[in-house]
Order: sequence, then structure tokens, then C-alpha cells
Amino acid sequence: MTQTRRHLVAGSGAILAAASLCMPAVLGQAKARVVVVGGGPGGATAAKYIARDGGGAIAVTLVEENETYQSCFHSNLYVGGFKSYEQLLHRYDALTATYGITLARQRAVRIDRDTKAVLLADGTRLPYDRLVLSPGIDLKYDSVPGWSQDAEEAMPHGWKPGRQTQLIRQKLEAVPDGGTIVMIAPPNPYRCPPGPYERASMFAHVLRTTGRTKARVVILDPKDSFSKQGVFMPDWEKRYGSMIEWLAPRVHDGIKSVDPAKGTVVTGFETYENCAFVNVIPAQMAGAIAREAGLAPAGGYCAIDPATMKSTADPAVFVLGDACIAGDMPKSAFSANNQAKVAAMVVCSELAGGPAFPTRYFNTCWSLVAPDDAIKVGGRYEPRDGRIAATETFISQPGESDEVRRQTQAENMAWYDAISADIFT
Amino acid sequence: MFWWGRAEAAGNEVLGRHLSAECTACHQLSGKSVTGIPPIVGWPEDQFTAVLASYGRKERGGQVMQAIAAKLSHGDMTALAAYFGALSPKP
Repeated sequence: MTQTRRHLVAGSGAILAAASLCMPAVLGQAKARVVVVGGGPGGATAAKYIARDGGGAIAVTLVEENETYQSCFHSNLYVGGFKSYEQLLHRYDALTATYGITLARQRAVRIDRDTKAVLLADGTRLPYDRLVLSPGIDLKYDSVPGWSQDAEEAMPHGWKPGRQTQLIRQKLEAVPDGGTIVMIAPPNPYRCPPGPYERASMFAHVLRTTGRTKARVVILDPKDSFSKQGVFMPDWEKRYGSMIEWLAPRVHDGIKSVDPAKGTVVTGFETYENCAFVNVIPAQMAGAIAREAGLAPAGGYCAIDPATMKSTADPAVFVLGDACIAGDMPKSAFSANNQAKVAAMVVCSELAGGPAFPTRYFNTCWSLVAPDDAIKVGGRYEPRDGRIAATETFISQPGESDEVRRQTQAENMAWYDAISADIFT
Repeated sequence: MFWWGRAEAAGNEVLGRHLSAECTACHQLSGKSVTGIPPIVGWPEDQFTAVLASYGRKERGGQVMQAIAAKLSHGDMTALAAYFGALSPKP
């Protein structure tokens, strides 16, 4: 039985937990120490909620080497010209000023689980009582033959923020009319399941609205199907005609190789030469800090206890967001933010006597297909049979009215502002 | 009885605060009014509860809110209503 269930709050028992929420676990004892690695939707949210709900009993240190967070979520809207890059930037000032979080502007280089400490690039050693890891993904540079880290300028992935995202837009702007963009989509599981297909939509939107109507976008997919496929594909036809072509493995017979110098992509059935732009989105895995700590023994991602978000390998460590195996929950900013709140509740319960409630999860992913035309997928999730399992799901339907799609896009934009405020303020 | 009333109110506040974290992924705690997702801060409690219950019965349209409300008990809804009802919108 987990800590969460043992301390379940029911009825008037909540008052006892509420009273203890504001007191250190043991009076006179030094504060409990929580270190959070990674300042994205998982880590920053966890740091905020632990500091907020720890009743002053927990000292929270957020380890993040970047001064500014650049969101991957909504970066496709930057590619499509619906947002400026500056609108994707968020600072940590409010987290430190409002909640008393200590920001360690350093790269975490190693975790010593035996002595419970995080080692930073400048040699600092941060001891912890609980560690929250939310390092995001690393790319598997060897997952596409002929492609490598050296080739990520010529054939950008744009699956991590910053220069890569900007390269995607620059290359899109340079595509001539009649040119071919080839996107190599990633295998499951990967960050943002509908992301490649929203990005293809943005490519088509930009090409069409800049008069490059003879250009085309070819998606070579290693998967037989993809997120929101039943809605994306009829929408592509409606909005962009035949501009976007999606090819399943049975059609392209596998991606055999790419040549970054020549802009060539070879599949089992066809060779695409002189591509205007090749977007390689490779296979992915948990960030190195989590893998090297021995928390991802198989498959590259970290197994967690679905009731607590604790690593199954170490009960003092929580793994959130894209780096963990979250069952039916997709790797999304919404999921990471949601999982962080579960982890924060468990941490505050264990270290500060805070209340514990039944664990449940929620996620929604919006995707923009065309101006004022967005679709969504989402669901409710619970721990079940050792994994996070969907208990109710919903998805946009093909053929919805323009008004429904406009409203969905308005939701999408409002969600970004709200979740950014929830994470960073 | 007075003490128990206070105890229940405090328990309700803890529950409302906990459950509110699910709401603030989409609804701004500041109550800021934005197109697309309505503010939920400072509503009359009975109205707040009635709207949530209507989503829970799938009478009121909206996929996200229907899925959220389906799992909320009446006690959850009144706790949320009290929590958000006590907040004031910030400009």
C-alpha cells in the first residue's frame, strides 16, 4: 500500500492534515531538502507547488542552466507565423521571488543516489531528501541512417527549443515554389505525439499563404498510424488539397538513409533528391541525467509508480514529463504539469505532513491545422494495474463546424497563457 | 458543533485548494479574462456548483469540462466553488 493511500484524507480528518500543513515535520529540525532538476513544465511546476504547499518546512532548489525557458509547446505556432519567438520565452523570477525557490543556474551533471546528492557542473553538491527529475528528452542521433548530431544544421530536428526551432522556420522560408519538404517522423514513444503533424500543417499553411502552392510536404512515418490521424487527414485535404502527403511504412518500405550534404532521402520505394528541406525528427529517450542515474534500465525511459510518480528504482526520486513512462498519458507539457502536481502532493505529504488525496491525472493536447482551425485530444487517467491508464478520452471529430474549430483554437491560445502562468508565476 | 463546523470548513478548503490545481492548468488563478477559456474566480458558489454538475451530467457541452466534471463528487464541486468563490479577480 502506498503512502498516498495510507494517508487518504476523508471528511473531518482533513483538519488534522490541514493543521500540520503549516508546520515542519519535526519542530526545530532543519528544513527538508528537495532538489528539482529541469525547469520545464514538469520541474518548474513541481518546484512551485512543493514550495507553495510545503508550509515553510521544505527548502526547494531548482536546477536549471538556462536563464530563460523556451517552450516547445506552441513552437509550431511560431513556425506557422502565429506567434513570435519572444512569446515562447518565460523567466524564473516569479518562482524565486514569490515562493522562495532557490534557482541553481547550473547544469546537473550526475546524481549520486547512494548519498542522495546532485552534482552540478561547477562542482557544487546538492544533498536531497527527495529528488524530482524532469530532464525532458535526448535525441537518438543514430536512429536514422546517415543522420547524426553533425547533420542537425543541414537537416534540423526542431524537437528541442532554441536555434533548432528557428532553423526550421528559416529553412521553411527558403523553400522554393515547387520544392519538396521531407519530414521523417519519429517512432513511438516521443515528445508531443501530434506535434509532427501539426508542424506539417504549419508548413503547408505558410507555403500556401506565400504563393508557393506547387511546393509539397512529404511525411515519411515509421508508424502505421498517428495521433489524431482521423481528423488531421481530412482536414489536410480540405485546407491544403494534395500538398501534404503522409506515407506509412507499408507504402515507403522503410527509411534506408539520408544524405545531409545532398539533401537526399532514400526509402525502400523511392529516392527524394534535392529536397528543399529535410526535417529529421529522430527517436527519443529520457534525458541523460536520468538514464545515467540508472533510472531507465530498458527502452530509454524511466518507469514510475503510477500512484506517486516515484521512480520504481528509487523511492526518493520522482521522474516527471517526457522522461518517464506514463502509460496512456502522452508526453506533453500538460501531462508534465499535471504529473508534477501529483508528485508535489506526495512530497509535501511525506516531508511536511500535508494531506494526500487519491491520485488522478488529466491531459489535453491541442493542434492547429489552419488559421482558426484547431483540433484536440485528451483524457482522464488513473493508476490501474501498475500503470497510468486512461479512464475517459475525447477527441475532435472530422467534419466539425468552423465555429467549433474556431472555439477550439481560442481554447488552445488561452490554455497556453494559463498553463504558462501556472508553471512560472 | 461550532468546532465541527469550522473543521469541516477547513477540510473543505484543503480539498478545494488541492482540486484547484487541476483547474489552473487552463483557468488562470488571477481570474484574468481571456477569449477561449472563461475565468472561474469570484463566482457565486451555487452557480459554480450548478455549472460543474451540468457538465458532469453531460448536459452542458464541452469535451474537456465534461471529462473533468465526470469524476468530481458533489463535495468536490462545492469545495471548488468555495475555493474559487473566495478569490477576487486581479486585473
